[in-house]
Amino acid sequence: MAGQDPKEVRKYLQQSHDRIFENNRKWAKEHVEKNPEFFNELSAGQEPDYLWIGCSDSRIPAEAITGLGPGEMFIHRNIANLVCNTDLNVMSVVNYAVRHLKVKHIIVCGHYGCGGVKAAISPKDMGLLNPWLRNIRDVYRLHETELDAIKDEEKRYDRLVELNVVEQCRNIIKTAAVQQSYKKNEFPIVHGWVFGFKDGLLKDLEIGFEDMLKGIQKIYDLSTE
Amino acid sequence: MASSAADAIERIVAGNRVYAQKTTEQDPNAFADLSKGQWPEILWIGCADSRVPETTICNCKPGDIFVHRNIANCVHAHDNNTAAVVQYAVGALGVKKVIVCGHTRCGGAQHSLNDHDLGETLNTWLHPMRELRRKHKAELDNLPDDDARAVRIAELNVIQSLDVLKQHPAVTKAINDRGLTLHGMIFDITNGQLRLLEESGGRRANVGLWSPS
Ligand SMILES: [Zn+2]
Ligand SMILES: [Zn+2]
Repeated sequence: MAGQDPKEVRKYLQQSHDRIFENNRKWAKEHVEKNPEFFNELSAGQEPDYLWIGCSDSRIPAEAITGLGPGEMFIHRNIANLVCNTDLNVMSVVNYAVRHLKVKHIIVCGHYGCGGVKAAISPKDMGLLNPWLRNIRDVYRLHETELDAIKDEEKRYDRLVELNVVEQCRNIIKTAAVQQSYKKNEFPIVHGWVFGFKDGLLKDLEIGFEDMLKGIQKIYDLSTE
Repeated sequence: MASSAADAIERIVAGNRVYAQKTTEQDPNAFADLSKGQWPEILWIGCADSRVPETTICNCKPGDIFVHRNIANCVHAHDNNTAAVVQYAVGALGVKKVIVCGHTRCGGAQHSLNDHDLGETLNTWLHPMRELRRKHKAELDNLPDDDARAVRIAELNVIQSLDVLKQHPAVTKAINDRGLTLHGMIFDITNGQLRLLEESGGRRANVGLWSPS
């Protein structure tokens, strides 16, 4: 854009403005044509079965890649799908989803080729991103032996993406909200998945929720109110 | 419980297979192109509410919008999570626009109309929104009902979030260096339409959404 005629810039920007609003009007119209009650039903409230914790990456719109419609999935997306126990932001989402919406499943979804994970293993000062990305460096340290043994750089980085997802599942299971709800209701169940751009498919890391919960509660038992 | 729980997961696994197949049918190179990287023009900060899926309601494609969604689309000054998203999107990816989008019937906004105890975590997260209610009490009291009051709180919260964003170092720099623009919107769940908040630019002039100031 740099060096362009300001009038051209204005025109270009005006077009992308119109595009979003035009697209939105079209989308709304299509839904009303298919089902005149669509937005009335939506206005009545939300009862999503799922909470999705995914990466902010623009290529992974959760609803689109799982084929779900509006109203079906509660969503939190941040850099590299992290769940940090001192982060009020993600903890508010987990709390609201589990205690108020009573979701049945929590999905932590990472993706291969994650820029956040790549940035975290770069030997570089990232400024404001340092405190956030530090959590991924900690995941590396927890699995240092396994990761160091992988000679192929791409494969090592893919494995770190997977291990990061598993660690974030653990962090969710450590919360009082999840442990207390599961004790009472036998939900939510936590799942760890990875999205691959090669084929557009989701891979289940099969974390084994119940066993993981039991293992975690040996030390982090918050199930008693 | 066990069987229906498994069904819910099977459903989205099947949904994902359909997505992958359809995408490849429409464009055999779609995933090869996506795996090369992302160049989104927009950072979207929206509510976690399941009824406001940004890419769907804007009829956009994967790769178009970088996304952060939290309870009631709040941008708080001392929140590392949002700050990291903004730093990455604005500083590293160089998005051209940042949108903060609130919505009607927002649970976070409705809960901000009173001080009912939601537990310590949510009470703390919503505290700035509840403060907005106190600050704008006279205006809110004049509105006809709680639905209208919740919409107004959602609007005030979008405007406040934009003000916080303007203090973010990457945003300040990008506004000065390359004309990054910030925009406030409300998604109306009752009719599915996006509405631009004209006062979100700090003035009430009727500016076009992407017009550089
Ligand atoms: Zn990522
Ligand atoms: Zn909301």
